[in-house]
Amino acid sequence: MIRRVSQMRKWIWLTALAAWPTGAVAHPHVFIDATIEVIFDDKGLAEGVRIGWTYDEYFSLLIIEDRGLDPDYDNVLTPEAEAKLAGFDMQWDANFAGDTYALMAGAALGLSRPVDFSASYGDGKITSSHVRRFDAPVAVRDVPLIVQVYDPGFYTAYVIVGETRITGRSDCTAQVFEPNRDAADEALLAALAEVSADVDIELTYPAIGAAYAEEARITCADPS
Amino acid sequence: MRRPLLISGLSVVLVLAGLWAFGGLAALSEWALAQQREVQNLMARGIRAVRAGDAGALAALLGVAFTYGFVHAVGPGHGKVLIGGYGVARRVALWPLVAIAFVSSMAQAAVAVAVVYGFFAAFGWSRERILGLSDDVMAPVGHVLVAGVGLWLIWRGARGLRAQGRRVEAHDHSDYHDAHDAHHDHHDHHDHAHHAHAHDHGADVCATCGHAHGPTLAEVTALKSWRDTAALIAGIAIRPCSGALFLLILTYQMGIAGAGVLGTFVMGLGTASVTMVVALLAVWSREGMLAGLSEGRLARALPVIELVAGAVVMLAAFQMLRMTM
Repeated sequence: MIRRVSQMRKWIWLTALAAWPTGAVAHPHVFIDATIEVIFDDKGLAEGVRIGWTYDEYFSLLIIEDRGLDPDYDNVLTPEAEAKLAGFDMQWDANFAGDTYALMAGAALGLSRPVDFSASYGDGKITSSHVRRFDAPVAVRDVPLIVQVYDPGFYTAYVIVGETRITGRSDCTAQVFEPNRDAADEALLAALAEVSADVDIELTYPAIGAAYAEEARITCADPS
Repeated sequence: MRRPLLISGLSVVLVLAGLWAFGGLAALSEWALAQQREVQNLMARGIRAVRAGDAGALAALLGVAFTYGFVHAVGPGHGKVLIGGYGVARRVALWPLVAIAFVSSMAQAAVAVAVVYGFFAAFGWSRERILGLSDDVMAPVGHVLVAGVGLWLIWRGARGLRAQGRRVEAHDHSDYHDAHDAHHDHHDHHDHAHHAHAHDHGADVCATCGHAHGPTLAEVTALKSWRDTAALIAGIAIRPCSGALFLLILTYQMGIAGAGVLGTFVMGLGTASVTMVVALLAVWSREGMLAGLSEGRLARALPVIELVAGAVVMLAAFQMLRMTM
C-alpha cells in the first residue's frame, strides 16, 4: 500500500510536470478585450451577466472580409452590413462553454445559452455582446460573486478591460483581478498534492485553467 | 580551446533551468503575449495599407509578418519542443539541426499556402472549414508525430541502457576503467555479447537491427537517417500556423494574394529565427552537460539523456494533444 502511494505520488508529479505548461503550450491567435456587467433583478438578486467582446483588428478584418461586409475596403460598414454582423459569434457548438464562468463561494453557477446579443464595428474592431443568465438568481453579500473570462484551450486570449458595471443595485462594488501566475502555479501544485492516492487524477483534475483566468469579484452590502 | 566554450554550455543549462524554476519563462511568455496582441492589430493595418496601394505598404507588411512569426515562436509551441528535445536527446551536429529548423519553418509556410489555395481557393471550402481542418485534424496529427518522435527517443535510450546493462554484467562491473580502455573494451564486449546471437555487426546496422548494443560515439553523433529528418520536418510543418492561414485567406479575399503568400514565407522566416536559436541552445547545452565526462561515462550518459529528453517531448506532445481535443 505504502509502495502504491509512493508510486501514485510519482505519477502525480509526472502529471504536474506535463501539465505545467497548460496555457503555455498553446499560444493564442485571437485576442479579446472583455467587459463584464452584472445584472440584478428587482429583488436585488444577481440574475446574470452581460459579456462584451472586442476582437483584435486582425480577427475582425478576417470576419468582415469573409462575410464580404466591406466591399470597398474603406473600413467603414454601412448600417445594413453592420446589421448582418449580429450573432456572428453566437452559434456555439454544444461543447463550447462560452469562455465565461461564474462562481459563488467556490461553486460554479449554471449559465444559460447566450441571449440578447448584438454586434457593432468601429475603428477596425468588432465588438459583440451577449447575456448569460444564471440558472437561479443569486444573493450577493460579502462573499464575492466571481466572474471569470478565459478560454481553457487558450486559442483566444482574454483581458478584462474597463470597470465592471453593475446594473439594478447601487450598493455593490466590483474589482478586477489579473491572474497571478506564480500563485496559480503554486495553487496547481497544492491542488495536486491534495489529490489522494486512490483518486483517478484524470477524472478529478483541478480546473487549473481557471487559476490563470482574469476575473471580476463583486460584493454587495447586506440588504437587511 | 573548444572546451571552455562547451563547458559554458553547462551554464546555459543552469541558466535555463533557473529561469524555468523561478518563473522567468513565465515573464517571457507574458512578454510574448503582449507583443502578439499588439502585432495582431499591425497585421490588419498592414493588409489594409497594401490593399489601398499605399507606398511602402508591402515592405511594412512583410516587416510585421516577420515580427508576427517571431513573437508567436517565442511563445511556446510544438516546433521548439521537437527541435529542442531532439537536439538535447541525440548527439546531432549543430548545423544539420539548424538547417532542419529552417527547412521545417519554410515547409510549414508552404503547407499553409497549399491548404488555403488547395481547399479554400480551389474547392471553395469555407473559412471555418479550413481552420477546422487545421485545428481539428492537422494539429492533432502533428502532435501525434511529435509524441512519436518522443517515443522513438525513449525507445532508443532504453535500448542503449539495456545493452549497457548486459555489457556491465559481462564486464564484471568495470565501471572505473580509464576512459580509453573503457571505450576499447566496450567494442570488444560487443563482439562477445553479441556473438551468441550470431549477429553480423556491420558499420551502420544499429538503426534497424533488433538486437541493440551500446551506441558508439560515432553512431550517436550522426543525424541518424532520413527518417529522423523527415519526422522532425513533418512534425513541425504539418500544423499550419493559424496566423498564416488568416493572412492567406484575407489577402486572397481582398485580391492581394501575392502579398499574402510572400508574407506567409516571411512569417516562416520569423519563426525560423527562433527555432534555429533553440537548435543552437539545445546542442550547446547538451555538449556543455557532456563536456566534463570521459568517453566511457559519456557512452553511459547518452542513453539516459536520450530517454529523459524523449519523455519530456512525449509528455509535452500529450499535453498539446489533450488541449486540442
